[in-house]
Amino acid sequence: MEKVLMKGNEAFGEGAVRAGCRHFFGYPITPQSELPHYLARRLPEVGGVYLQAESEVAAINMVYGAAAAGARVMTSSSSPGISLMQEGISYIACAELPCVVVNIMRGGPGLGNIAASQADYFQAVKGGGHGDYRLPVLAPASVQEVIDLVVTAFDLADKYRNPVMVVGDGILGQMMEPVKLGPPPEVTTPPKPWATTGTLGRKSRNIINSLYIEPEELEKVNLRLQSKYRRMEEEEKRWEEYHATDAEVVIVAFGMVARIAKAVVDKMRKAGIPVGLIRPVTLYPFPDQPLVAGSSGPVKAFLVAEMNAGQMLEDVRLALCGRRPVHFYGRTGGMLTSVAEVEGKVREIWEGLK
Amino acid sequence: MAVQINLKELSKKELMLSPGHRLCAGCTAPIIAKMVLLAAADYPVVANSPTGCLEVSTCISDYTAWKVPWIHTAFENAGATLSGVETMYRAWKRKGKIDKEVKFIAIGGDGGTYDIGLQSLSGAMERGHDLLYVCYDNGAYMNTGIQRSSATPLGADTTTSPAGTAVPGKVQRRKDLTRIMAAHNIPYAAQAAPSHWQDFLKKVKKALEIKGPKFINVISPCNRGWRSRLDDAIQLSRLAVQTCYWPLYEVAEGATKVTYKPREKKPIEEFLKVQGRFKHLFTPENEWIIKKFQQDIDQEWERLLQEESQSS
Repeated sequence: MEKVLMKGNEAFGEGAVRAGCRHFFGYPITPQSELPHYLARRLPEVGGVYLQAESEVAAINMVYGAAAAGARVMTSSSSPGISLMQEGISYIACAELPCVVVNIMRGGPGLGNIAASQADYFQAVKGGGHGDYRLPVLAPASVQEVIDLVVTAFDLADKYRNPVMVVGDGILGQMMEPVKLGPPPEVTTPPKPWATTGTLGRKSRNIINSLYIEPEELEKVNLRLQSKYRRMEEEEKRWEEYHATDAEVVIVAFGMVARIAKAVVDKMRKAGIPVGLIRPVTLYPFPDQPLVAGSSGPVKAFLVAEMNAGQMLEDVRLALCGRRPVHFYGRTGGMLTSVAEVEGKVREIWEGLK
Repeated sequence: MAVQINLKELSKKELMLSPGHRLCAGCTAPIIAKMVLLAAADYPVVANSPTGCLEVSTCISDYTAWKVPWIHTAFENAGATLSGVETMYRAWKRKGKIDKEVKFIAIGGDGGTYDIGLQSLSGAMERGHDLLYVCYDNGAYMNTGIQRSSATPLGADTTTSPAGTAVPGKVQRRKDLTRIMAAHNIPYAAQAAPSHWQDFLKKVKKALEIKGPKFINVISPCNRGWRSRLDDAIQLSRLAVQTCYWPLYEVAEGATKVTYKPREKKPIEEFLKVQGRFKHLFTPENEWIIKKFQQDIDQEWERLLQEESQSS
């Protein structure tokens, strides 16, 4: 299969086109701007619409509108812009509309910087905006995986009538890698009888809403949402294991840090130290099975490595409930974890186990 | 109120935006910022910039090019942040904690002013804070990679209004923000250009002597986004004025005055043809865009002259 060289941000755009997305609402912010650039050119070629909003608040509410009309729709931004979108995402989650939101995370808090970061983990997996809601969150670790997971994101969004977030960091957005595109996947968009596309002579009207004045009613909506999230937790956990079954020290890392961790695993294995990797692909629902399963095997300790101050760390601890010690290594502010740093931490843990 | 500009006197004043900042070679934004601060040199100034080229290039962390107290605020918030500072100042003044006549000046680009910052700017104007908001309008989001903004002119090629076979660049007209600001019935709204520096400085000086909210929109040629020569900024600014693409005028206490009338209005092609972002317009199939461009300018110029004659 022919390979093409693609930038991560462009791959998010091409992935969306392959998933049948024809509506994109964007707003500039570094380091994700190549994504709207790409779709501004690409979407008109396939009969789609690129529209630039006047702010992220406007962009997410354009998504709300298009999703209500049943379209496969996406928006993208980077950390501060995603913060501005949170109100809209909460509305969309309550109104149960499918859409995809891409966050190419950068250093924070505040204006921060434009370097790569994973510090929006909490915001992504715990809801982000107000109210009790969740988004499935996918974390690709290569440009190829971006292409594939964006398609998955749209499918999940339709399956659960829920916004889905795909997170990458600034490196993934900016880096170029060879990608196998292959024939476009068969896109099967489920029927959307709830979409507000006109009554077409029907007596009943479709209503898209997130306002429920009566607490009894709103509680029912919340219970329905919660049962949906439980179903996601049963059906949608995804992860990758790398030399994890016989490892005594297991690194847990997602996105770009997992790529770095893989290099650490290879290096340590060569030195005769049994190290493995578990890479969550869905950050929500969090893949706790491989951790729990690992803790009944030869694993003696876990190391969570992230480009933040320890966010996924909490989910790993929750999954393990004290079954094994959980160590942490993280860099913040847009600083990249290096192979040597993670390796140093693994060696320290390994020495402690002896 | 006659405001006099004495170049000799001005040349003795210290420039309050120091060199060494990281704006591009040939950028107009620092020229505009320097001129604004020069015109305000008689007062203590508190300046404020929302995210944008000027902000990001003048405050690379631990360093600042600003010799006046300066606040950066998120992209959408310059109007709000400066409102807060000015409110605190008034409270301090009332309590007798401060007696200086401080001037509050925001300087933001068109993305942070026309688009995402319009709400907070409008709020500040309506509440009547005693501040001056200066917009340096380079007609796109230049800082993030030349995306179209609502200040981008018709037909311009940007990364998110790419000119090609399907779309001939931006298909919408630019927003007339100066008029929108004047419609807030604030005491002073004006349009200026760095090429006409005397007119520009006079406007800033005049604005600072007026109590209440003031707005000045300044054209800011950008060689990166306009695809023009590095040393053409002032020439482009002049052409913008001479073609009446960027009329110089003010609306003071509701009275409109055109402060510069070109003896002969140059055809818009002269402004467009020296910019790569309009290159694709000079083809037979896009001729209509240039025509439309000229029509819009003529109409707007006529409207402005009429408004002026009704004011006097």
